Amino acid sequence: MAAENLQAMIDSMKEGAVLKLEDKTYEGNIVIDKPLTLIGAKHTVIKGDGTGNVISVRAPRVKLKYLTVTGSSMNRNSSEEYAAIKVYTNNNLIEHITVRRSFHGIYLSKAHHNIVRYTNIKGIGKGEIAAQGNGLHIFYAKNNLLSHNTIEGTRDGMFFDYANKNKSYDNNISNTRYGLHYMYSDGNTFKRNIFTMNTGGAAVMNSNNLTLEDNQFIVNYGNQSFGLLLLQANDNHIENNLFYMNQRGLYIDQATRNLVKNNRIIQNQIGIELWASSQAQVFTLNRISDNTIPAVTIGGNGERNDWSKAGFGNDWSSAFPLTDLNQDDIGDFPITYYSSLHQLIEDQELTNLFLKSTAISIYEKINATQNNEEVMFKDPHPLMPVKRSHTFVLWIGIGLLAAVGIFAKGRQKLCITFGRNGRNT
Amino acid sequence: MHYIWKEWKEHIRGKGLWLALSIIVLISISIMLRSSALSFDKGFYILMINLFDTIIYFIPILCLFIGAFSIFQEKEQKTLIMLLTKRDNYSSFLLRKSFGLYTVVLLPLLVWFFIYLLLLKFQFQLDVKAYLVFILALVVMSLVFLQMGAAIGSFSRSRMQIIGCTIFIWFYFFFLHDFILLSFLPDVTYENVKLFSVGYFLNPLQAVRMFLETGMGVYSFGHMSRLLEAFMWTKPVFFLLGNLVVWLGVSFGTATFLNRKEGYE
Repeated sequence: MAAENLQAMIDSMKEGAVLKLEDKTYEGNIVIDKPLTLIGAKHTVIKGDGTGNVISVRAPRVKLKYLTVTGSSMNRNSSEEYAAIKVYTNNNLIEHITVRRSFHGIYLSKAHHNIVRYTNIKGIGKGEIAAQGNGLHIFYAKNNLLSHNTIEGTRDGMFFDYANKNKSYDNNISNTRYGLHYMYSDGNTFKRNIFTMNTGGAAVMNSNNLTLEDNQFIVNYGNQSFGLLLLQANDNHIENNLFYMNQRGLYIDQATRNLVKNNRIIQNQIGIELWASSQAQVFTLNRISDNTIPAVTIGGNGERNDWSKAGFGNDWSSAFPLTDLNQDDIGDFPITYYSSLHQLIEDQELTNLFLKSTAISIYEKINATQNNEEVMFKDPHPLMPVKRSHTFVLWIGIGLLAAVGIFAKGRQKLCITFGRNGRNT
Repeated sequence: MHYIWKEWKEHIRGKGLWLALSIIVLISISIMLRSSALSFDKGFYILMINLFDTIIYFIPILCLFIGAFSIFQEKEQKTLIMLLTKRDNYSSFLLRKSFGLYTVVLLPLLVWFFIYLLLLKFQFQLDVKAYLVFILALVVMSLVFLQMGAAIGSFSRSRMQIIGCTIFIWFYFFFLHDFILLSFLPDVTYENVKLFSVGYFLNPLQAVRMFLETGMGVYSFGHMSRLLEAFMWTKPVFFLLGNLVVWLGVSFGTATFLNRKEGYE
């Protein structure tokens, strides 16, 4: 079907009409300038001509559903950045959309109160930064809901620029540069999203009053990688998140008054990297365990960073032995962590390459004997470590029993079976 | 072929190979069970990295011991003298013996990790390319440490010497090598970073890890600084191959030139 035909069909429809598209490829680009509903079938594709936005939404209350959209312009020298779907208006619904071979996926430009959900956006791949755009690009847009979107291999997964009071729930973002990139955007809420294998999980810059709850930052892993970066970001509320196997779990620089509460910061190379330029952070009720370095303060000791609130500190795992004689689940004495690595990390970026090395522990111990250490944190009210289940130990026990069984009884048979030369043949 | 069959018969009667294999099987199963909560699509990568981080503690030392005692057994049982009085010289004996060792150790390992892949299929979305990278990383690590073990077995005269040397080499690559590099780290500049990089990747554990993590697409080298770019002056796979060639060569050379044909208990 020719481009003008789809455009002509749209133009011929009345406001509020529903257009059901067939199971075939329609050629774009199209502009929707009246409120209507466009519903595709299982294999409905709208293919752009590579010169601009494939679908431009210029009317409010437009609904786009079950479409595959491909082929926006990839031109970086034009006055405009193009997208598979570019929305300029308010109160639109975009759902069950698949985006391929486009610069940006879905672009909300000064568009408010829109819903973008259940989209699947795939870019060229993590290695390509400049030649492609972002999965969801939110520009000067307020009060939008972005939920259940899957984004993979774009430049940034979700990019917010001067975009306030948006909500992002249950999105899954992987193999991008930054899964989430916030610039100058305040009052956004971000819940139950999963960031995996990005160069950086979420980079929050120059933005205030964000809420990040129940998100997962997993395996954001590389020389400069992090689960969550707070750069010049203030008064943010970070609660119940999981930071697992990142280069740095949290990376906080020039940020103030952030509350980090009840998160699990586990098996990162550096649990929390806190630059001295950051002030008045509060860390409470977090479980910080199995990190190579639980927390490091770089560039001098930041003032007024609190490692406990209202008498509740953090669970630093059994690596920091504690007693709890009054059994109130709070350790009887403060935990103070010393480290000598902060200077090396600050001065030499190649230090990151050694963070998985067992030599780090020797390095720390030798420097401890030479008094080269500094206090990285002091938790006055550390929580008693959570007791773990013993299934792992049980399995080792079963395994050892099996091994003994093989040696004691079964080995002769195995010898006969595999080697045909057992001792009793 | 004769050596491979001989090696197989010897190991099947011994405890070393079974012990090594049972440790690896046990670890891989327990990590799989502990990973059951991971997501279907990305859990596979997390499991692979965790598994590697755990078995890296075992495979080197097990391979060192298997390699060393396998050679030493030839001395103890006087079969080495018998073999060398035939047509073999020490280097040709070592070459055949090494191939026998590789086959006998790697074959059960590969069989187990093939079975393991089938088990993983029920739990995760598999990435076969990433799994092959993982297997290749294990194979290279095993080859390097088996050959080092063979060198230890060649120049050692007693079991105590073998145990001492093996533990030293394991300790060196686990702790000392990186510790020495860490002490040089403050003096690394753009001018000398290439040399530092060579030192870093001479550690088989680091070369294998870098190859694995970049090969699986987990480790990101995006936005590298000038210094880091100079540090990574070639691809991780070439660092790995270089490491393999160097340590196979050094181990083989050491074994050939420093070998002692007699051993005692």
